[in-house]
Amino acid sequence: MSLARNQSLALLALLVIIATTLSIALPSKFLTVINLQSMASQFPEFGLLALAMVLAMITGGIDLSIVAIANLCGVVAAYILSKSIGMEIAPSIAIFAAIIAVLIVSVICGLINGALIAKMNVPPILATLGTQGLFLGLAIVITGGHSISTFPEEFSFVGNANVAGIPVPFMIFTAAAIVVGVILQRSRQGFDMTLIGANFTVSKYSGIDNTRTIIKTYVIVAILAGIASLIMISRANSMRPGYGEAYLLSTILVAVLGGTDPDGGFGNLWGVILGIFILQLTQSGLNILSISPFFTKFIWGAALLSMLVVNFYLPKIVEHRKLERARFRENNRDIAGPE
Amino acid sequence: MNIKNLIKKQEIQLLIFVLIFSTMITIISPAFLTLENLFDLLRGSSGVAILAIGIFLVLLSGGIDVSSTTIAIAGQYIAINVMMAMGVNNIWFAFAISISVGISLGAINAIFISILNLPTLIVTLGTSSLFHGALLEFVGTRSINSGNLPRAIKEFGKYKILVLERANGSEYGLSVFFLIMVLVVILTWLILRYTMIGRGIYAIGGNQDAAERVGFKVKKIKLFVYCYAGFLAGIMGVMHVALIRSANPQYLVGSELSIIAAVVLGGTRISGGVGTISGTMIGVILITVLEKNLVLLGLSSYWQKFFVGLIIVMGVIITYGDLSRKKRDENSSAKAIEPSSQVNSASQVNKGDVL
Repeated sequence: MSLARNQSLALLALLVIIATTLSIALPSKFLTVINLQSMASQFPEFGLLALAMVLAMITGGIDLSIVAIANLCGVVAAYILSKSIGMEIAPSIAIFAAIIAVLIVSVICGLINGALIAKMNVPPILATLGTQGLFLGLAIVITGGHSISTFPEEFSFVGNANVAGIPVPFMIFTAAAIVVGVILQRSRQGFDMTLIGANFTVSKYSGIDNTRTIIKTYVIVAILAGIASLIMISRANSMRPGYGEAYLLSTILVAVLGGTDPDGGFGNLWGVILGIFILQLTQSGLNILSISPFFTKFIWGAALLSMLVVNFYLPKIVEHRKLERARFRENNRDIAGPE
Repeated sequence: MNIKNLIKKQEIQLLIFVLIFSTMITIISPAFLTLENLFDLLRGSSGVAILAIGIFLVLLSGGIDVSSTTIAIAGQYIAINVMMAMGVNNIWFAFAISISVGISLGAINAIFISILNLPTLIVTLGTSSLFHGALLEFVGTRSINSGNLPRAIKEFGKYKILVLERANGSEYGLSVFFLIMVLVVILTWLILRYTMIGRGIYAIGGNQDAAERVGFKVKKIKLFVYCYAGFLAGIMGVMHVALIRSANPQYLVGSELSIIAAVVLGGTRISGGVGTISGTMIGVILITVLEKNLVLLGLSSYWQKFFVGLIIVMGVIITYGDLSRKKRDENSSAKAIEPSSQVNSASQVNKGDVL
């Protein structure tokens, strides 16, 4: 997979360039502990959603419902947490209950998506387009369109605390990324997912239970979205249905930017993590430089399109070079031959 | 075609569902079934229907387009701004500008999709972000409200092709929007039914390789599809501003997924090659009736998103769902043995199922 390594290296170079530029341009604002900490607590909720999107894409699918799942989980957790204050339940029990509820809700959402896609053969984009409305609609119905706020104080630990100077959301993200990495590279599930994405029929005839693997994938995707929801509501100390809708397109962008093949069969975890970092760095940098969010939007569109074009032409160029090199060697051998 | 086959068709099932739903609404709230309300419904949904036809063509060709709402709002906002800057007060001018913006942006989509052959979802995601960012950054973010809009736009919004009188003497009527929609439907139907490009759209959606071998110019057809979708988005942009009497560059964007859902509910296959205009229209009617009239059924508006989601899920299960395991296994093994099973959908081209 030298292409993957090349791409990760290119992204790493881009990251270093952006970081260096920002540090030189804004030494007093960018390269401060506070700014780094705030960045490290800002991106994990988005990063977890991006990891989820990558997993769905590796199997050749897509999950448009991740933000809606995060919303539904967030609303359920927020409901439990805010009710617990009135009912004078110990915060630790309330938080535990909220986390369990998020797990249950996210697994159910994932099972629904997985069943629609794998059992009923609905194309992933349509299945999750429908469930997106279903989950978000349910979140709106539960809250009546209002936001839910005031949680036990202890809960803000998840989104706002630092342990040894490292923000807790960052730790959660790191742990999740390691788990996803292990799943993708060291487990049967990851292998099966990649093969399904590469060729559905071949994987079926290789003795892989496609249905089971795909359902499992969408459950994992939903759990990641659920974890993201916990960070979201803790950081904002409230939950409003519809929060983070703009994340959806950005997750697809980062996944593709990081080298995930939207047709499935190939995903590059390092590339995606670098992509998430690049997105966060650029966003904070442009923010500090007070460049309008609209221009940022414009830049992201341009970045995604150029990445697509590069991804499309890079393999062709590499192939072309290989061919030329081979031809060159052949010619040399011809010349060297008679001697 | 006998009645049994007729009921099997998805459009008919959908139409029956719409009729049942409308009857329910009428029983609970008789105010629904008046000519005036029907005219209102048509006026409000004509623009969406035109946008849906553009998306329908894209889906038919095997692609997907999430940038159409952005193109519509870009055409609209640029047209209004140019009109105000130049002091032109003419509806044809507004259409001319909006449509040229629409076609140009559609052509940009087409370059990435047809010439570079990149995946349509990702490309249109990228271009919608690009177009919208550029619109907000370089054209403006200011909302232009009714007082400042050119008069021609407002007059166009009020123009009626059929005027009726209420009991108390005031007037109501059928908006010109409906006429535009009908013209677009007829034009699109003619293209799909009688031109090589139209037949080509079905063919490349069914099986691109086969279409290419048969001699269809795939690149040219795709170029046409995305430019035509941009053209329709341009028309819709002007209709939208005339409808809501306010131009805001943040409007419309974000509703593209529900329009795609309407088209898919109408029976258009997301993998391309299969779909009809009449199905698309019924899908749009279904979504519009559902979104606007749940309140009449006594459900609070909070349920709206949930029900639309539920309808989409049920719709896609009916279209794609294959609940019996046996049948599915047969299907997939048939696919494995005969890789050209897509010919199935391509062969539907010949039936002439356009409308």
